[in-house]
Amino acid sequence: MIQLYHVSKRYPNGCDALNDVTLRIREGEFVFLTGASGAGKSTLLRLLLVMERATEGQILIGGRNIHVLRDSSVPFLRRNIGVVFQDFRLIKNRTVFENVAIALEIMGLGRKEIERRVNQLLEGLRLIQRAHSPVTDLSGGEQQRVAIARALVNEPAILLADEPTGNLDPELGHDIMQLLIDINRRGTTVAVATHDAYMIEHYGLRTLVLHKGKLLEDRPRVSVRPGQDVRPPPSPLVYGSPLAMQPPVAAAESSLASAADPDAVEAP
Amino acid sequence: MKRPPRPDYVLRQAWLLVRASPWLAAVSSLTIALALALVGVFAMVLFNASQLLHDLGRSLTLTVYLRENALDTDIAAVQAKVRTHAGVKGVRVLTADQDRTRNTKLLPAELLQGLDEAAIPGQPVIEVDLNADLGSRADVDTLSAWCKSLKAVQSVEDAEFGAEKLRLLFAFVEIARTIGLVLTFVLLASAMFFVFSTIRLSVFSRKEEIEILALVGATPVFIRVPFLVEGVLQGLCGSLLAAGLLGLLHLELLGLIRDVHMLNLSATLLPPGMIVWLVLGGPLVGLAAAAVSVGRYLKV
Ligand SMILES: Nc1ncnc2c1ncn2[C@@H]1O[C@H](COP(=O)(O)OP(=O)(O)OP(=O)(O)O)[C@@H](O)[C@H]1O
Ligand SMILES: [Mg+2]
Repeated sequence: MIQLYHVSKRYPNGCDALNDVTLRIREGEFVFLTGASGAGKSTLLRLLLVMERATEGQILIGGRNIHVLRDSSVPFLRRNIGVVFQDFRLIKNRTVFENVAIALEIMGLGRKEIERRVNQLLEGLRLIQRAHSPVTDLSGGEQQRVAIARALVNEPAILLADEPTGNLDPELGHDIMQLLIDINRRGTTVAVATHDAYMIEHYGLRTLVLHKGKLLEDRPRVSVRPGQDVRPPPSPLVYGSPLAMQPPVAAAESSLASAADPDAVEAP
Repeated sequence: MKRPPRPDYVLRQAWLLVRASPWLAAVSSLTIALALALVGVFAMVLFNASQLLHDLGRSLTLTVYLRENALDTDIAAVQAKVRTHAGVKGVRVLTADQDRTRNTKLLPAELLQGLDEAAIPGQPVIEVDLNADLGSRADVDTLSAWCKSLKAVQSVEDAEFGAEKLRLLFAFVEIARTIGLVLTFVLLASAMFFVFSTIRLSVFSRKEEIEILALVGATPVFIRVPFLVEGVLQGLCGSLLAAGLLGLLHLELLGLIRDVHMLNLSATLLPPGMIVWLVLGGPLVGLAAAAVSVGRYLKV
């Protein structure tokens, strides 16, 4: 699903944020991206979103080389990649509903269709009561759930999260992580940048360790089925929600789809 | 899947942008309205002035005064020369006696008392009814030149058609047109500047939102269109205001014309094409100014 070949990124100020990184993330996989501050985690995610272009090397997403992607095609790539940030990046003067709907508005969908899909998702995320509140009235945890809803509403094949729990207290952080894992179980490829060592330890999922722009270590998922003891069952947050009943349509339809990955986190 | 943004979404966003800075939007709309109303007023004046001049030109009379000793053959020769000119509708010849009788009628009776018949001036006259297409001062000059060529004939004493008055009228129209153009240009430029600044502030205030939209996969068109429509809305408000102002003025003037009936103004004080341009003008000006602002400040 995501392949990097000898990717380097040097910022205009001469800072080498990534240095000869080669890695592969398969469809349906869940990976943590970790490393000290300044290791290049955000830079890697920014390259995948084409917010920056690699200085050297090739990046393939769903088999497409984004190195040669024209600027005019970038928006269409981004519609296949949901993204969540530490600071939520919600549009402040709009409601919860509008913030989620925007991901469908940009595709020019009809009003009815947008309402149906957004409400369904908000229901699953227990946000429906707040649908018409301004996002700024929500707590941090709720705002992050809104951001996740926005990232998911058009059913992207990939979900990227840059320190999604960084601004939340540990309990809320755990909720959000659980939500991301549930999303992954339904087929979405998920990559989460974090420097929360406890979190990584706790979930025992595949972890890519960056150090000063280099890929230092690729720790595989703990092979004993960790879900049995470490992970609680899928949280009621989205369990039984519309997401559970529908396979991710975007993944199935888009050119990004490829063979299912055996390493995917299985539901217990 | 490359669908355009939904019109109701774009309109709503544009409306929110306008509402976010209502005073700036109002100033922009007002300057556009002022500029357009001015264009309208000058168009009214110029349109009616040139109508008036055309009407004058259509019923112009050129009078050729012949010398008192002119022979019938001379008169016939002049008459023939006059008829060769295009636009001559009719030619009337008055003998010296006929001219005297006419002049007598023109003078007040008490002035004529005890006056010798011979003392009243009279000379052979040719009156030429002209249908001249007077579009500019140059047309008056052309006619003057022809008039002069008539004067060059031996038996002709004088020939005139009121060229000086016509020239003066045309000069007035030209001055009005120049003033109108300059004022319109200045006002339109400042209106555009106001819209441009308003949109620039809008773009700056939505910097974060623009970044987010780009991140979730909005195309540059999707991001830009609401700002362009914001400009169009400001222009539209300006146009409607200007139309209202001109409508009121129009009614006032029509009332005035009915009172002072001798004024020969056409009932449509504005040419219909001009009305279309005034209504379209605001949105076009708004769109142009917004496009410049968005092109310069909205980078995606
Ligand atoms: N826009 C930029 N221009 C110049 N240098 C940058 C830019 N963004 C990041 N860098 C530099 O690139 C390096 C990697 O930054 P990056 O943000 O990818 O690190 P990170 O792993 O996400 O760190 P953190 O955990 O603090 O978020 C850092 O040294 C940083 O200073
Ligand atoms: Mg970072």
